[in-house]
Amino acid sequence: MTTGMTDPLSASATATEIAEAVKSGQVKARSVAEAALARIEKHNPALGAFTDVTAARALDAADLVDGKVANGLDPGPLAGVPFAVKNLYDIKDVVTRAGSKINRDRPPAHADATLVSKLDAAGAVLVGALNMGEYAYDFTGENAHDGPSRNPHALDHMTGGSSGGSGAAVAGGLVPIALGSDTNGSIRVPASFCGIFGLKPTYGRLSRAHSFPFVGSLDHLGPFARTTRDLALAYDLMQGFDEADPAQTKRVNEPTVNRLSYPIPGLRIGVADGYFAGDAVAQAHVKVVAQALDASRVVTIPDAQAARAAAFLITMAEGAALHLDRLRARPEDFDPDTRDRLLAGAMLPAVWVERAQKLRRAYREKVLHLFEEVDAILAPATPMKAPKIGQKTAMFGGVELPVRANLGIFTQPISFIGLPVAAVPVWLPGEDLPLGVQVIAAPWREDVCLRIAHQLETAGVCKAPVAKAFLD
Amino acid sequence: MAYKPFDADALIDAAAPLLQLRIEPEFRAAIKANLKTASKMAALVEQVKLEDEAEAAPVFRA
Repeated sequence: MTTGMTDPLSASATATEIAEAVKSGQVKARSVAEAALARIEKHNPALGAFTDVTAARALDAADLVDGKVANGLDPGPLAGVPFAVKNLYDIKDVVTRAGSKINRDRPPAHADATLVSKLDAAGAVLVGALNMGEYAYDFTGENAHDGPSRNPHALDHMTGGSSGGSGAAVAGGLVPIALGSDTNGSIRVPASFCGIFGLKPTYGRLSRAHSFPFVGSLDHLGPFARTTRDLALAYDLMQGFDEADPAQTKRVNEPTVNRLSYPIPGLRIGVADGYFAGDAVAQAHVKVVAQALDASRVVTIPDAQAARAAAFLITMAEGAALHLDRLRARPEDFDPDTRDRLLAGAMLPAVWVERAQKLRRAYREKVLHLFEEVDAILAPATPMKAPKIGQKTAMFGGVELPVRANLGIFTQPISFIGLPVAAVPVWLPGEDLPLGVQVIAAPWREDVCLRIAHQLETAGVCKAPVAKAFLD
Repeated sequence: MAYKPFDADALIDAAAPLLQLRIEPEFRAAIKANLKTASKMAALVEQVKLEDEAEAAPVFRA
């Protein structure tokens, strides 16, 4: 092994390192898969990250990669890289539970979700499905049926949700790449709490086909990773039009990984004020990033509070419409926290939702004007660091409010209009838990988010280490 | 005539039969709390004045 390179079998190995080692024949994909499966078996009882482990499939896929390497064929850019997906992605022969009890009565999926197929085709090795908040209506990472996913950096704290298992699996070193979904913040909140990189692409960029929906007009899928290169690589490989997703926009692939190191001094970066200023703890984390980027501009995102409110209403109503039959037939089988919000959502006056949709378009116009003056906007990903599991309320701007509905106050106004965001992890000196910062760009400019994230990582301002307790 | 204050119980009692939703007693307090939150959210949305010509975000294309 080359001195200084991470052991590709270790918890800290990046996807890039693993793929290089597998392609060069330095390590077998099967050994990498076995090491990942062993880590999952050892640590998942503490982390609650996985709900399904697809060991046989993983070993078969790894053997296929090894066969290609042995025969001089290209095994793909993610050769032998273990990955896992939130359990709302279809996995062939696995029941897509979407965090629920009710959906467990469905038959197993007959095919993989489009994004799973794309990573599979790139040589990555699926090792299982990940815990999530019920039906993705969650910011905590708790689950009434499967138990909570736990923050690898402090096991009695939340991972954030609803892609909680994705956060735990990556920060806990079980896999280098995980996929999640983000309707109102469900990638960015766990990335913030677990101290990893997350990308919520532009609405309509990546196919959502064969994943269980929540709010079709707001749902996005995207990756998590511990390095910006891995994040960009996974994202690049998942691009491509898929007519099976009616909301996907037809665009050519716009790769980012080869542009990560493009210099960023030409980029104009602003810090969101007003609604996004947050409490002292959030401000402190944003300040570190802003100083590193020499971002002295201040940007006021207009009507952000109303935008968040509109996203809240659309989510309640659209979510209720999706689940109406299940709410009628099996209300007792829901997580009560999910059910009672959905039942209320079923009763909202239609005019509230229509006004919210009208605001969405008007707000989009206003915010897009901001990108004439700046290329990226910085804002906190969460108003606080990870609360304790089970904590019901917290102070938000001096007011005690429910945790579950309010952890997304800074993410909701952004995903509401589908802007791409990289969540980057910031650790203040001496602190045990991180807090993420959103790097927000204009629609279709994921490259800007990722270049800035990469610059912050290279400068040592942002990092995503495997939690100390899970390094072995 | 003054508006009456919002009565979440009245909305639940009227809407649940229309929607064929069974509201068990233990569900009610949380549904009421969520409806009250939603009414505050709706008030925030209504504070932003929109032109008569404002179109909703999803536009159907034939």
